[in-house]
Amino acid sequence: MDQKSAGLKITIFFCQRIDADQDAHRRPLEKELGSQIRFFPLPCSGRIEPLHLLRALESGADKVYVVTCAEGACRYREGNIRAKKRLAYAQGLIEEIGLAKDHLELIHVLAGTTTTIAQLAEELLAREAFVGPLPVDAPGQERQQRQL
Amino acid sequence: MITAERKPLSEIKEMIAPYRKVLVVGCGSCVAECAAGGEKEVGLLASALRMDARTEGRDLEIKEMTLDRQCVYEFIDQLTEFIDQYDVVLSLGCGAGVQAVAEVFPRAIIVPALNTTFVGETKEAGLWVENCRGCGDCKLGFFAAVCPITGCAKGLFNGPCGGSQDGKCEVDPDTPCAWQLIITRLEESGRMNLLDKVYPPADWSKQQGRGPRKIVREDQKI
Repeated sequence: MDQKSAGLKITIFFCQRIDADQDAHRRPLEKELGSQIRFFPLPCSGRIEPLHLLRALESGADKVYVVTCAEGACRYREGNIRAKKRLAYAQGLIEEIGLAKDHLELIHVLAGTTTTIAQLAEELLAREAFVGPLPVDAPGQERQQRQL
Repeated sequence: MITAERKPLSEIKEMIAPYRKVLVVGCGSCVAECAAGGEKEVGLLASALRMDARTEGRDLEIKEMTLDRQCVYEFIDQLTEFIDQYDVVLSLGCGAGVQAVAEVFPRAIIVPALNTTFVGETKEAGLWVENCRGCGDCKLGFFAAVCPITGCAKGLFNGPCGGSQDGKCEVDPDTPCAWQLIITRLEESGRMNLLDKVYPPADWSKQQGRGPRKIVREDQKI
């Protein structure tokens, strides 16, 4: 079953340089899926901090993606390399509390491809749902039972 | 700067297991610089503990606070209005911070989230290196500002030992030989005559053997 049908809550942090018109492109998907998807544009993926990733999971996301430009293509030289290291650190933290590290995933956009953030998000939502819902309810929120 | 590293989560969980309300307190000074106990690390640890508790179906209430300095009363005092509302204080301060908080609030339960490690410097982003043992008898003025107690594996005052290779220590080939650094710097600054003297062993009584050390400055007292 794909991630969209499985009802997984997806959070996408992304470098806004991969889509110059990201604001307009993501709106229809946000309207369609409501709270199932949340986008967080970053000036550079190197801005991401492990704390952002943990807070996203704590707030109810089942799967958090960090989308960066291709390695070697960062406008600020090393932003996507830093993002990779920070995501790995956050994966270590969630593994310490017994969660699968796959709840956090780094996606490199391939060099030379032109894609919108909406197309990319659709591709991610169409992926097989290898991780289930996070067994962590956000505060004051009853999670609906979802079968995978 | 005092450096520290976070304890394994399992150890932290064991210490706070009997309690439901936890005040997580960071320190914005040394341990923030070494990315172990500042505001971000308080947030990360609190977030991880909350998620862990929910995963296990436990009820856990956490408040996050970060003091500018956890070893100075004027800053610790900010905890006064909250401390009675929590069962335990999980401190992300260094050992001095943990003990200072416990001294101000002797009836509160204070537990450490960090292992305090050494006095050091930030070499580069993400790399901290020990460079002072706090021996109480600083001789950096004779050794071109390279500490032979900390930097030399053998702690030699009259080196080098002769075992270094390519400027690296024979004990650890990743570590520069402190005496190579001392001699290079003294040569470059024209002070090789400082090595004509034979330096006596350190006076270790200034570091240890008399319980906790104190510094008293009458001019600083109110």
